[in-house]
Amino acid sequence: MSRETVTTQEVKFNVFRFNADDDYLPYYKEYTLEVTSEDVVLDILNKIKWEHDGSFSYRRSCRHGICGACAMKVNGRSTLACKERMMDMIELFGNEMTLEPLSVKRAVKDLIIDKSDFWEKHAKIDPYLVDEIDETPEHENLVSQADMDKLLDADVCIQCGACHYACPAVAINEEFIGPAAFAAAYRFEIDARDQSNNARLEIVDQEKQGVWDCVKCFECQEACPKDINPIEKITKLHNMIFKEGMANNDVAARHAVGFERSIKKHGILDEGELVRYSEGNIGVLKHVPVALKMFKKGKIVLPWKMPKADKLDEIKKLVESSSTVKY
Amino acid sequence: MSIPIYTYDAIIVGAGLAGNAAARELKNEGKNVAVITKLHPLRSHSGAAQGGINAALSSADSIELHEFDTVKGSDYLADQDAVEFMCQKAPETVRWAERMGATFSRKEDGQIAQRPFGGQSSPRACYAKDRIGLTLLQTIYEQASRLGVKFLDEWYATDLIYKDGKVSGIVAFHLRDTQIAIFNAKSVMFATGGYARAFKISSNAHANTGDGLSIVARHGLPLEDMEFVQFHPSGLSGNGVLISEAARGEGGKLFNSKGERFMERYAPNALELASRDVVSRAIVNEIREGRGVGPRKDAVYLDVTHLGKDLIMQRLPELRDLAITFLGLDMIKEPILISATAHYSMGGIPVDIPGHVRKNNTEFVEGFYAAGECSCVSVHGANRLGANSVLEALLFGRFVGKTMASEIDDIVLRPATEDDAKRAIDEINWILNNNGDERVAQLRDELQDTMTDHAGAFRTEESLQVAVDKIKELRQRHKNIRIDDKSKVFNTELQEALEFGHMLDYAKFIVESAIARKESRGAHFREDFDKRDDVNFLKHTMGYMDTSGDIKLDYMDVTLGKHELKERTY
Repeated sequence: MSRETVTTQEVKFNVFRFNADDDYLPYYKEYTLEVTSEDVVLDILNKIKWEHDGSFSYRRSCRHGICGACAMKVNGRSTLACKERMMDMIELFGNEMTLEPLSVKRAVKDLIIDKSDFWEKHAKIDPYLVDEIDETPEHENLVSQADMDKLLDADVCIQCGACHYACPAVAINEEFIGPAAFAAAYRFEIDARDQSNNARLEIVDQEKQGVWDCVKCFECQEACPKDINPIEKITKLHNMIFKEGMANNDVAARHAVGFERSIKKHGILDEGELVRYSEGNIGVLKHVPVALKMFKKGKIVLPWKMPKADKLDEIKKLVESSSTVKY
Repeated sequence: MSIPIYTYDAIIVGAGLAGNAAARELKNEGKNVAVITKLHPLRSHSGAAQGGINAALSSADSIELHEFDTVKGSDYLADQDAVEFMCQKAPETVRWAERMGATFSRKEDGQIAQRPFGGQSSPRACYAKDRIGLTLLQTIYEQASRLGVKFLDEWYATDLIYKDGKVSGIVAFHLRDTQIAIFNAKSVMFATGGYARAFKISSNAHANTGDGLSIVARHGLPLEDMEFVQFHPSGLSGNGVLISEAARGEGGKLFNSKGERFMERYAPNALELASRDVVSRAIVNEIREGRGVGPRKDAVYLDVTHLGKDLIMQRLPELRDLAITFLGLDMIKEPILISATAHYSMGGIPVDIPGHVRKNNTEFVEGFYAAGECSCVSVHGANRLGANSVLEALLFGRFVGKTMASEIDDIVLRPATEDDAKRAIDEINWILNNNGDERVAQLRDELQDTMTDHAGAFRTEESLQVAVDKIKELRQRHKNIRIDDKSKVFNTELQEALEFGHMLDYAKFIVESAIARKESRGAHFREDFDKRDDVNFLKHTMGYMDTSGDIKLDYMDVTLGKHELKERTY
């Protein structure tokens, strides 16, 4: 795809406009622009501002994907405006597209949103290396590259917020810390130099705010423009909590353990028993109406009718050999 | 409108490496310090540094060699006492950053890994893959926050409170609601970054509009060595986004349209790893002489394919990603298109080693400090060596913070009054209400085109005069601007207008300092005076702007030292 020529084509943009002082409701304004094969989405935002309406506002700075200021949405898909090629957008969406802020409900001015919730949650997980800092060191800490590689590039997160505002758990649960801050918690918790003694694991182990309320939809992985893969870090945090023997005996942790029990016993998931085990014999009663519906549709079966997987022996061996859980 | 007045011991403007490092020192000493930034701290341009940070760590290297390379790279315009200080403190500074959590790449034995860089006699650039700035900025911000430094995000500083030779605060407004406030303090530090955004082809962030420099200059305080702007050899063709010197440090080669490895002709020993000014001029010259490549024939090839996929993915992953995004070229498989790009500002607010801002060649301003790219110590002289910029910002930021902490108790707070905000209020109201027919974006394009075309890697009296005249014209037309946005919520058009006003002021310093320097030294290359002239120009330019916008030039001696003047070859 070497660039020996530059081509242009017309694209229609529906752009989210809102001014918190003047507008009761947001509206969409249409701009039709000539787009070149060299343009990224930020070039389009700049063209709108510089050639059509100077009041159009968005955050931006570095223009090459390292500062994290310009995260926004194209056709509902999170992206960094300065790193997204227009040619790729046209290939995905055709010659008409909608430009919106990461979160419509947090919009303040056009694509600029109030990100205070994002930064507050980030601050919650002690986002710094915990160690007594030698102010005049004569040597560095000796750390192997293999140990540094365990960070799994979590340190490359640029705090753009794309994953945070794509996360459905963040959207419905105000306390949920969210994928970006979890990735940061992992980044410091796994660092061989960190001396915090699992303090962050305790924070992310809490119900409502912690990793157990992740719904494992993989939206964060999809949204991340730097390939940080936050859910990979969330899963690591789950494992670290178990490994350290810190998991609380609560619904969230029992839900995870219940999965393992079911697989060990049947080789497949026993949905009814999983809920009973997680919630306990009394807590499970509130799920009876849903259970009846599921039973009618054959999604759950009576305990003595629960089928077993083929090759259950092999599955049991796999579970045992891979499990590190202390619970 | 009532103007709130907030009081602190120290106010720092800018939250890159220098600002954060100073704030952490001040907080560590128990001072009440706030950092204001027009961005969020983590958006600062320090985070964009790619290749590395220099320190003579290994036994094969030495502090003296680091000094020598820096002084030679500077074309002998650097002040050698400042260079000595920096190179001596470099190992401690890098290790301190590591202790705070920076994620350096490692050698087999677990020590910090180092790579070769241009103009250096030893592999000296400590790296973190190709993202040194990101990890250093995150680390120093994290540790400053950990101590409880107060950060005021998205506040735009518009003026300095400077009276009777003393500074007692700043005036700023919150981008969220355009509320103006006075930050009254015993001491103020500027760490506002570089000014290469005045050029069309530039590696710099949108934010690098050199605000701090023009704010200072408007008070009649000097700016030093403004003609020295570094053109980095490898900006991506078309937009100038940086491809780190690490690509050449790891073994990348340059080729022209004839397939010649042309650096053999310009720097037979150092080849692609000659000093940046040398490589940039070679590239521009190849293009001028018709041996360019790419759709506009305005680039040369940078080839790293021979390094192999594993090494590229391990050490240059970000660079590969950039070339794919902006050029559609995968450097694992094919050469990419690069050309010189305005990159770094050697000049700036003149300071001494502890960071005091100069009022003139001999006097200093009380309560006013600067560090990082906005300042001129001068450790870079006429040309900065790769991987010395993040070192300067972190190291001087930190030590200037120490200076401030030690002097703050001897400074009496001079209470500010609402009147101190008058200049800022007038400027903002003028922009909001001026009803002309010129557009800021249009004027800015014309300025940037002019600077790249006429004040770039090659300059002549004639080309610089074109730039001088154009800036004069733009200053007239600037009086006739109009902006669309009259609102108080994130008025980014107002912000761009203020920034453009700053660009116009400091661009005048660049071209007038350049026209007066009738020699070629480091990044300042005059085709009509193509030799270095130590008899007449081994001195720093000191420019002063008067209230009518005219610039008067003066000169200041260079501090020489043990590294004697020599012809510079690579």
